[in-house]
Amino acid sequence: RCGVSNLSSQWFRAHEAPFNSSLLPSAGRSVYSGPAVVTHAGYISVEKQTPQDDNAQETDCHVDNADGNNNNNNRRKTVCPGAGEHPLQYNYTFWYSRRTPSRPASSLSYEQNIRQIGTVASVEQFWRFYSHLVRPGDLSGHSDFHLFKEGIKPMWEDESNRSGGKWIIRLRKGLASRFWENIILAMLGEQFMVGEEICGAVVSIRFQEDILSIWNRTSNDQTTTSRIRDTLRRVLNLPANTIMEYKTHNDSLRDNSSFRNTKISV
Amino acid sequence: MSTSRQLSESRAIPTKTVLINDTTQLPHDYCTTPGGTLFSTTPGGTRIIYDRKFLLDRRNSPIAQTPPAHLPVIPGVTSLNVLTENRKNEANNHVTNHDGKPTTGDDAQFEMDI
Repeated sequence: RCGVSNLSSQWFRAHEAPFNSSLLPSAGRSVYSGPAVVTHAGYISVEKQTPQDDNAQETDCHVDNADGNNNNNNRRKTVCPGAGEHPLQYNYTFWYSRRTPSRPASSLSYEQNIRQIGTVASVEQFWRFYSHLVRPGDLSGHSDFHLFKEGIKPMWEDESNRSGGKWIIRLRKGLASRFWENIILAMLGEQFMVGEEICGAVVSIRFQEDILSIWNRTSNDQTTTSRIRDTLRRVLNLPANTIMEYKTHNDSLRDNSSFRNTKISV
Repeated sequence: MSTSRQLSESRAIPTKTVLINDTTQLPHDYCTTPGGTLFSTTPGGTRIIYDRKFLLDRRNSPIAQTPPAHLPVIPGVTSLNVLTENRKNEANNHVTNHDGKPTTGDDAQFEMDI
């Protein structure tokens, strides 16, 4: 049922599944109510368990896309909330990229330099990843973390980003970790209230400043971009005269730059 | 038939007007919708909304502490140990976001330099 190709990391072959007595109903601990799910090819979906988290099994994703809402960019979800976890409105994928500044940026090299870390479908899954990632302020070199909806690549060329753009906020050194945490909590918690428009957020560690970005689908939708800007001011507690800049991805493609030649908004 | 009725004292509804100049001056719990959002409507209808406090409170659940299955090993980026600096940072967050005053922690007040 979950026959999606990039699932490999989560599925154990039946004979490799960790033998864990908590999977047996007689163990006396609360377990996922239902049989262990056997997917095609005999794979059993289990989660590595420690004694404290018997409820942390990832479920087979019995989600279809027939609910009429494009809540996963028309993709079948590869990850679902576990039993007892708090679902997110969308699945999100963590990405990491790093570039040696001397190499010129090109679309091909960018795509090769960016890698997925993992996808989350619940609040708890989010914390599992986030707690095991270095804080952005402690990253070295020219590095970025990206947190994007599952199915959307953090690239200008992605279908979901073609008509889009981003707000950026420049931060002096020392602030990136706190601001990144606050912007992604707001995004995951659906605080922006712009329907499907949010694509993802990026924190970019650079030489003398750090930059926070939030990407949306439709750059010329002023209602959406204004609402995103206002939410950013609130959730990041920005001083009233903070400069915020917007840049369309088309402009970025044209001048091959993420952060130059933006439109200033105060 | 009803017994004697007493009219309750009638008063105007007491109100208080607070002048603000900017959305950042709104109190943190200003909302008319569940979940703490500022806006009462959104395209697409009902959504799963979590406020910041709720999300932070889930951080300490046992499920959230175990490393994710198959976390890629990227030195300097991913770590198998839960990073405890995050908790200290969280304490700073609470202080700064509630009073807006500078903290004595490692992150000083946000300042814009030209």
